[in-house]
Amino acid sequence: MEEPKGTYFYHALKVDHDICVGCTHCLQACPTEAIRIKKGKAVLYANKCVDCGECFRVCPVRAIYIKQDDFAELGKYKYRIALVPAVFISQFAENVRTSQVYACLKKLGFTHIYEVEHGVGVLIELMNNYMRKNQDRKPFISGYCPAVVRLIQVRFPSLVQNIIHLKAPLDVASITILERLTDAGISKDEIGIFYITPCAAKIAAVKSPVENVSSSINGVINIDFLYNKVQQMLAKENTPAEPINHSLSGRDILWSTSGGEAQNFAGNSFAVDGIRNVIGFLERIENDEIESDGIIEMRVCNQSCAGGVLNPNNRFVAVNKQKRRAESLDNQLDGRSCFLPVFSQDFNNRVKELMTIDEIKPRSILKLDDNLQKALKMVESINKTKAILPGIDCGACGAPTCSALAEDITRGNAEIEDCIFMSAECDKSKETLGRIWNYKNKNK
Amino acid sequence: MELNFKIEGGNFSGAGSASSEVKKTLKQLGVDASQIKRIVIALYEAEINVVAHAYRGQIGVKISADKIFARIEDEGPGIADISKAMQEGYSTASSKVREMGFGAGMGLPNIKSNVDEFDIQSVVDKGTVLEMTFYLA
Repeated sequence: MEEPKGTYFYHALKVDHDICVGCTHCLQACPTEAIRIKKGKAVLYANKCVDCGECFRVCPVRAIYIKQDDFAELGKYKYRIALVPAVFISQFAENVRTSQVYACLKKLGFTHIYEVEHGVGVLIELMNNYMRKNQDRKPFISGYCPAVVRLIQVRFPSLVQNIIHLKAPLDVASITILERLTDAGISKDEIGIFYITPCAAKIAAVKSPVENVSSSINGVINIDFLYNKVQQMLAKENTPAEPINHSLSGRDILWSTSGGEAQNFAGNSFAVDGIRNVIGFLERIENDEIESDGIIEMRVCNQSCAGGVLNPNNRFVAVNKQKRRAESLDNQLDGRSCFLPVFSQDFNNRVKELMTIDEIKPRSILKLDDNLQKALKMVESINKTKAILPGIDCGACGAPTCSALAEDITRGNAEIEDCIFMSAECDKSKETLGRIWNYKNKNK
Repeated sequence: MELNFKIEGGNFSGAGSASSEVKKTLKQLGVDASQIKRIVIALYEAEINVVAHAYRGQIGVKISADKIFARIEDEGPGIADISKAMQEGYSTASSKVREMGFGAGMGLPNIKSNVDEFDIQSVVDKGTVLEMTFYLA
């Protein structure tokens, strides 16, 4: 398939063609129909893929992988910062304490541990300001989940204006720590910020942000990789606990769980998780059926980030741990807002200025041609082709559905003979089709 | 290009399928997002009108490069006073229908504010024909 010019997007999801058996599981799982089987191997189309990771989940031979940065890169920096999401702590058993996980990360070579959710407080303030100033952009859709943002860009281009044009807690956290260290006189070249990711979408967002400004994050490490390293250490030795030096509250810890974002905003808010649910809800927003003056939180994984494709722990167990940690933090805080003194107003204002996104561009994958007359002819041709295809979406042609094949044929990327039931020498298969699905050959 | 759909009176849960299908096609055609929005809103309202008031109906949508024409025809009680039905807040919907969140009397006025050309003909105890045109340029 031809990629439109100038629209290359970084994708963390890759297919190892030495392992792929072309079994079509990923084909059927992909919510944007971004996969085709060509010559027995799965091929990902960069302009359609939103890095949700559904293909990664279903691959029976582990041919789909998520490319992380080389952990050895850490050695290049004098100051090595681990940006840890709350969901990382939730991967470990109930009796493993946060301080032990911190200690293991330090032993692995990090000099600073900073939890991503430190950015939440600043972000809530910014979001409230944004919503007040942009009443004409209602309903407000959160831009937290990068796969949701990409999904809207490619499948719901009319809704890009509804996305809150602000960066994520991850960016607030990395910008804050970078500013703080450079303020202390440390050179930027000596600082390496590494994010520990639960999913492919976050990697893609770091490597190719919605705006073409480079991220302040230097590397991304997969959660399962570091989980294994820490687990091995915990199993072997008695890790002395590292004093915890953070200023998180329960609210912050819960941000990445389902509803954890929406609960912070007044008005009629919604929390939607799971990519099929997200797509269904976006359809309704597009039809003007949803009335919301609060925020619409959307995450493509079931149970939000706890359901991230790279997480080793069960998502429900992880959410439970996250909730208990939030409760225990709030109990310790006992009404105080946080453990550490907050940064000066001046500092916060500087960070805030770096948080806006100017433009999120729509890039529809549905549009058939720039010329409406030509597109109209193509839709007619697709409908005609669809009418003669069997409609059982078997995937044997290498396209996920008969509709997708009809579109591929019209675009000149496939042929009608690719359908095994349509190929001339396949009278026998038509018999089969008739016997099993009561299908009557419609074209002859 | 023409798309045709049947509508079943009283089937609230199934309403919206015609406008969804039209939306999908308009996206494939690359029609401007704000245009798609008004077309989908008007079609959805028209669909709901048939579901809420009539026994059955059909929608025919003709798409060409410069305009979209939709004709919604139903068999039903008809509208006795069209000028009243066009007023915001006026509704003959039953209390049952209102309880479901429909029948606020905004249907026809909302349709009218989203279309370029609008025509409505109705015969009491027979049915209603609604025609609307959207210009794309």
